[in-house]
Amino acid sequence: MRSLRSAAAVLLTLTAVTGCTREGGRIDMGPTGGTPVEGGTVTMALPPAATPNWIFPIGAPGYGGSYNSGIYSLLFTPVYDAVQEKGKAGLASHGPGTLGLEPAYSDDNKTVTVPLREGVKWSDGKPVTARDLEFWFRLVKANKAEWAGYSVGTMPDNVKRFETLDDHTVRLHLTRAYNPDWFTANQLTLLRALPQHAWDAKTDGGPIGDWDRTAEGAKAVFARLMKHAKSLGSYGSDPLWKTVNGPWKLAGWRDSGQVTIVPNEKYTGPESERPHLDKVVFKPFTTADSEYNVLRSGGVDYGYIPPSVMAQKEKFEGRGYRVDPWEGWAATYIVYNFNSTHAGPMMDQLYIRQAMQHLVDQEAMSDVIWQGSATPTLGPVPAKPKSQYLSEAMEENRYPYDVARARRLLAAHGWRAEDGTARCVRPGTGEDQCGKGIEQGTALELTLLSQSGSTETTNMMQELKSSLSKAGIDLTVRQQPLNSVLGSSVPCRAKDPGCDWDMSFFGTAGSWYYPLNPSGEQLFSTGASANFGNYSDKRADRVIRAVQYSPDMKAVHEYGEYLAEQLPVMWMPNPAYQVSVIRNDLRGVSQNPTVSFAPQHWYYVKKHAERKGAEK
Amino acid sequence: MSTTAAPVTAPGQEEAAPATPSLARRTLRVFTGNKLALTGVVVLALLLAFSYLGPLLHSTEQIHTDLSRANLPPGSPGHLLGTTDLGYDMLGRLMVAGRTSLEIGLAAGLLATLFGTVYGAIAGYFGGWVDATMMRVTDAALAIPAMFLLVVVAAIVTPGKGVLIMIIAAVAWLSPARLVRGEALALRDREYVQAMRMMGGGGARAVFKHIVPNAIGTVIVNCTFQIADAILYVSYLAFLGLSIPPPSADWGSMLSAGITYTQNGYWWLIFPPGIAIVLVVAAFNFIGDGLRDAFEVRLRK
Repeated sequence: MRSLRSAAAVLLTLTAVTGCTREGGRIDMGPTGGTPVEGGTVTMALPPAATPNWIFPIGAPGYGGSYNSGIYSLLFTPVYDAVQEKGKAGLASHGPGTLGLEPAYSDDNKTVTVPLREGVKWSDGKPVTARDLEFWFRLVKANKAEWAGYSVGTMPDNVKRFETLDDHTVRLHLTRAYNPDWFTANQLTLLRALPQHAWDAKTDGGPIGDWDRTAEGAKAVFARLMKHAKSLGSYGSDPLWKTVNGPWKLAGWRDSGQVTIVPNEKYTGPESERPHLDKVVFKPFTTADSEYNVLRSGGVDYGYIPPSVMAQKEKFEGRGYRVDPWEGWAATYIVYNFNSTHAGPMMDQLYIRQAMQHLVDQEAMSDVIWQGSATPTLGPVPAKPKSQYLSEAMEENRYPYDVARARRLLAAHGWRAEDGTARCVRPGTGEDQCGKGIEQGTALELTLLSQSGSTETTNMMQELKSSLSKAGIDLTVRQQPLNSVLGSSVPCRAKDPGCDWDMSFFGTAGSWYYPLNPSGEQLFSTGASANFGNYSDKRADRVIRAVQYSPDMKAVHEYGEYLAEQLPVMWMPNPAYQVSVIRNDLRGVSQNPTVSFAPQHWYYVKKHAERKGAEK
Repeated sequence: MSTTAAPVTAPGQEEAAPATPSLARRTLRVFTGNKLALTGVVVLALLLAFSYLGPLLHSTEQIHTDLSRANLPPGSPGHLLGTTDLGYDMLGRLMVAGRTSLEIGLAAGLLATLFGTVYGAIAGYFGGWVDATMMRVTDAALAIPAMFLLVVVAAIVTPGKGVLIMIIAAVAWLSPARLVRGEALALRDREYVQAMRMMGGGGARAVFKHIVPNAIGTVIVNCTFQIADAILYVSYLAFLGLSIPPPSADWGSMLSAGITYTQNGYWWLIFPPGIAIVLVVAAFNFIGDGLRDAFEVRLRK
């Protein structure tokens, strides 16, 4: 009996840890708790230089800040999203916070049926129906080049036919069989329901109709909506944005980026998503320093501190705040440029990449430089929070910090340190030789473009330079503003102008945030849009495709393990999205690793109400 | 005719043979009589010794980081002034950083003075459209805030020691140029300059043999202020994150890194480089004041 109970407990734990939903999966999160008291205002600090500037739920290129989608998702409920269910741990692709219910895939995984929650209405009283989903689909299909979420071959290209089954059910006929987990997590989460009955007009003041059902009409409707969306100053007064179906509605949107939302009193979704607060203000800051000063003076209820101030955690706790690093569902890395005019042949050699990875002391960097607010990146699949995508093998650091091993790897392949710099003394393609394209006397000298403006990043690069030099690798770090680094780190061909960069780092706040499924088709596939370093490997392409197409979770594990070993990039400590400082009487805050937020779950506890009363 | 004419020489040359030692002595006497100036010299000598001789007495690792020894407070074994956020010994780093600050400051200050002096002397001596054109260029350059220019240029190019010297000198030469131009305007009408021209002397000779040597007092005094300003510029730029790349350091970049930890109370990362900057800038200013007094004719008399 005892063994049976133990087995059940183990099974339960495993289920909690690994998640069990077929479509989106779960990621373990810490619990939140407390007793709600209705009312109150929360001022939340936005990240430095983050200015919300987009409200239209079809994101446009250049307006892709996560804070934009975070805010408009509160007004327009997403069909699927990485949501945290109230009172439950983990992330799922659907729940009370989404319009979509569990999607159903056909046996051959070539069609998916999307049921919508019934009884949900727009704020003008009209029901949310399948037509609203169709409206979104037709708009993005006719205007995909102007949609930030588009990449060739994916949504809407991979949908052969959009079929409306009834008022609350649609069926997508796919171009081929897809992995349901991947399709739900990374494709269905793009779906939106838009108020067709209010927005489907070609001109302002023109008649509402089914204009979206022709390509020409869809373009005209889309152009009109985009025009309104680009008029930031009129967001607060534009009637277009007043038809919402989310738990919140807009109360103000200043040009400076300060956004105020209040509860949508006509909200008809699940009760659990009804807000407790009276108002939430998203406050922009130009720099982290200015935010820090306002936070110290009590000007924000939910802010953040630089990691360097983590040592002052107790001080903040003493002042009635709790300090809670917001872990992102992200990977952080230094990009290797495999086509670099100078270093391409060296980057091609796995043993050189392995030696370099052995010289990255991720543990020490995370503990000392990031003051414990970062965690080592061990591969393409985030190690934290734990998820079903992470296999046991992926939790192991294949390349622990080991200077001697790095030196041995280089020496075994014909490199000898002369005057502190390793030089190739055995050119050739044999097992104990330097490798293809590396000539006699070639020095192991590399240049790294790194973003400026962060003490932690500067220190991390200094530490890396120091570690690499111990094995004779001479690293020159060139710090530039983030936009310059991103502008230079673009896919290029060897010997072309602008392809002279060897390595690049832009991960001060994490290099890449994944949707629910941490697949790598945009990062590591040959020719992918975010494959800035031109990494190309046939087996990697195959395992990445398998994640998209194969319903077996082993495909994700194979992909994660293979790329963790192959080092398409240099894995670096993954910093928290931010080190949050939250008023201790503000509860219900669970920090979503996909960096969205759900203020409808936030509430003040009694102590706050009493104090407010006393203040009055 | 020629027998009655007195030989025409420049004032400096006129006094050269019999009077130079006494002039130099008087100048030195006035300078040494200035306690602040002497203090400046002593402080500067100490800082130079600290930066260049210090590492011989207190040898530390300033290339490789040591995260296991990060942020140790002063008095920790082997670390009199504690360690930095990357585990460098603070005292040793202060010495190494001092070299960079002093070298860049001295080189940029001298370069700016040299170029500005020649530029101003040419403009002042030739006058007319040459002066008008050259001075309008100076005015235009002065109208652009120096810090703005420095930040833009330093963001475009990778700051190295040579690059920093060039870009700081590129904005600092304007002041000596205007000063020397004013001197040149007065000097070019002196008899010895006119006589030199009547005897067939060219513009180059006038500028380099007469104008510049006779404006040397102004130039030297200004040079000390230029060096002090250049050291401050290095610190400003480093404070904005535009310093020479690690593991090199200067006092400005050390101060900038230390400020990050103000809230943690790591004072040893802030005060030592801050005090060093104040000391060196004050020393150069005191020396400059002393030299100005020493070169001042009225005081000499």
